[in-house]
Amino acid sequence: MNLLIKNAKIIDDTSSHHLLTKDILIENGVLSKIEDSIENTSNYETLKLENLHVSQGWFDSSVCLGEPGFEDRETLENGLNTAGKSGFTSIAMNPNSKPVFNDNAQIFSVKSKTQHHAVNLKPIGALTVNSDGVDLAELYDMQQAGTIAFYDYKKPISNPNLLKIALQYTKHLEGFVYSHPLEQKISGNGVMNEEKLSTMLGLAGSPNLAEAMQVARDLFLLEYTKGKLHIPTISTRESIDLIREAKIKGLQVTCSVAIHNLFFTDEMLHDFDTKYKVNPPLRTQQDIDALLEGLSNGTIDYITSDHNPLTIEDKNVEFEHASYGTIGLESAFGALNTLFSTEIAIKLLTRGKKHYQIESFSIEVGEKANLTLFNPDEDYLFDKSCVFSKSKNSIFLDHDLTGRAYGIISNNQIILGK
Amino acid sequence: MNELSVNHLLGIKYITKSDIDLIFETADHFKEVINRPIKKVPSLRDVTIANLFFENSTRTKLSFELAEKRLSADVINFSAAQSSVKKGETLIDTVNNILSMKVDMVVMRHPNPGAGVFLSKHIKAAIVNAGDGAHEHPTQALLDSFSIRERLGEVAGKNVVIVGDILHSRVALSNIYALKLQGANVMVCGPNTLIPQHIHKLGVKVEHDLRKALNWCDVANMLRVQNERMAISYFPSTREYTQQYGVNKNLLDSLDKEIVIMHPGPINRGVEITSDVADSGQSIILDQVQNGVAVRMAVIYLLASKIKN
Repeated sequence: MNLLIKNAKIIDDTSSHHLLTKDILIENGVLSKIEDSIENTSNYETLKLENLHVSQGWFDSSVCLGEPGFEDRETLENGLNTAGKSGFTSIAMNPNSKPVFNDNAQIFSVKSKTQHHAVNLKPIGALTVNSDGVDLAELYDMQQAGTIAFYDYKKPISNPNLLKIALQYTKHLEGFVYSHPLEQKISGNGVMNEEKLSTMLGLAGSPNLAEAMQVARDLFLLEYTKGKLHIPTISTRESIDLIREAKIKGLQVTCSVAIHNLFFTDEMLHDFDTKYKVNPPLRTQQDIDALLEGLSNGTIDYITSDHNPLTIEDKNVEFEHASYGTIGLESAFGALNTLFSTEIAIKLLTRGKKHYQIESFSIEVGEKANLTLFNPDEDYLFDKSCVFSKSKNSIFLDHDLTGRAYGIISNNQIILGK
Repeated sequence: MNELSVNHLLGIKYITKSDIDLIFETADHFKEVINRPIKKVPSLRDVTIANLFFENSTRTKLSFELAEKRLSADVINFSAAQSSVKKGETLIDTVNNILSMKVDMVVMRHPNPGAGVFLSKHIKAAIVNAGDGAHEHPTQALLDSFSIRERLGEVAGKNVVIVGDILHSRVALSNIYALKLQGANVMVCGPNTLIPQHIHKLGVKVEHDLRKALNWCDVANMLRVQNERMAISYFPSTREYTQQYGVNKNLLDSLDKEIVIMHPGPINRGVEITSDVADSGQSIILDQVQNGVAVRMAVIYLLASKIKN
């Protein structure tokens, strides 16, 4: 692919062009020139976009795409296109499929189906056979086939001995275990945060305690095994405190937070709107403040959109019957860029890569073109026209955002959205 | 003001003090009507009401049906303890099927909190919530306040304690909203396991000693222990519950003052209250039942007049 990008402000603090506006010439997928002004002598295609900014390609650590099994929610092809249009050059895909990915053939299959796409897909394998939480899946074999993380998607590991064994077994593998932070017995039938509003709505609440207890337990097991643990999508201030202490002790723990858990409090559920029904649930402003602080001091390693496409039938029912989850790829940048400065938003969208063995390419001459294109200053109402996913269950629908991705340049291809 | 601020009665938290006043004034009139030899008015002759009960009910359903018939509305009844959901039909589809037969108003009981609110966003008919999970039971709270007003003259300034299973109770929640809205002081009393962790944030007092609670109050609303809603045991035995939270005649007589006893029914005699308490002069349990019909007539009448307008 050959392309001349005109007038792009470069946001990449590893680059000597950081914060400068340049023309960028891409030849055969490689950055061949970065200069104040480049003449289009070879008559390449030219890209000019309003208030264009470029950064290193973004990464999302928790994305569901439905295929195989839930193609009515999303397909691999459209899901990857959605990621690209939303600015992501790489994603880690959850084994939220039917059947779940729990052997090497399934990992090979999804890798080979998607290998030529602009968006780099890292499949996450199931931790246990059929994600039943009983017997470990063939973790080594799946790792050999190309996965490095193991997760029974959104299913807490209720048996502590199973997690102990999983941490011991993966200690010397190139891979790590995800443990969903929820103590199910304490959470009970809880469908939202346990607080004043859950009391007012007569909905069973899941208290912060249910998350913190599981995190505390997992960290004890981690300390014992000296393994590698990832705690996905934490949502409470108590979890932050526990993980901060564990990191000070030198334990190999990472954690993430879902963008919507930074953006919304549980107050959004006041009229039982199921688009706000997510797992972990929306919490209080105090929790959000602690999460933001945790992101800035590094206790939280990276963010995720926790993208989970669901059909109308999954969502447009009574609150207790509705499925948990929201799509998030399309709104990820707008939401983060609304909460943080653009430079910090970009950092949060790129700093997870190293944990998933995804190569980063500086915006320098000679490097591979792995770029996200975006406009950080566009103010807009996030509505259904902003959604590229097959499912439209976005928690951000009807909210104002600032900043929109134009698309990506990756693997010698370009994908543009709106 | 002669009309409600809302088009549905989904819960007490969605209405105003003026709405309650209007409902009570209208109910005063209907209470007089149902004590006449001819207990019926032709007000709603052109209105069709569907009673949709997705959860079992005898008393509430009878009370609504009687209220509707006293107003001369056409009434259809649909009972399906979640059977349609199990067959795969959604709530919206079930209700729309019924509405397509030209129904103007829906009275719905449903096991899921917020079911009425959800439905109100998707269908074109006035909705009366007859109980949605542990959320609200607004007509029960209205008839409870109406009965307090009838017995004590007014609700404002009165001390009301709600005793029992607050955690699983829509009656408790609607009563808290209704009583607070009218300026009463509200306390909840029961074993700690049946009091929601954050209930104090609704501006109610919490007391675990029944004698103290009864000495504080003017009115005690005794709730039924809802064993059917409990996934696990919240107290060791019914016997032990009654020892701590059952009201008997000796306890009542030993109080500093004569308090009013209420119960939304059905009563577990000998558990939350003994028979001699339930049948005593201090009890207004049967007044509550009679007032239920008048209050529900008022609610239906006022919502129907908004449809006509």
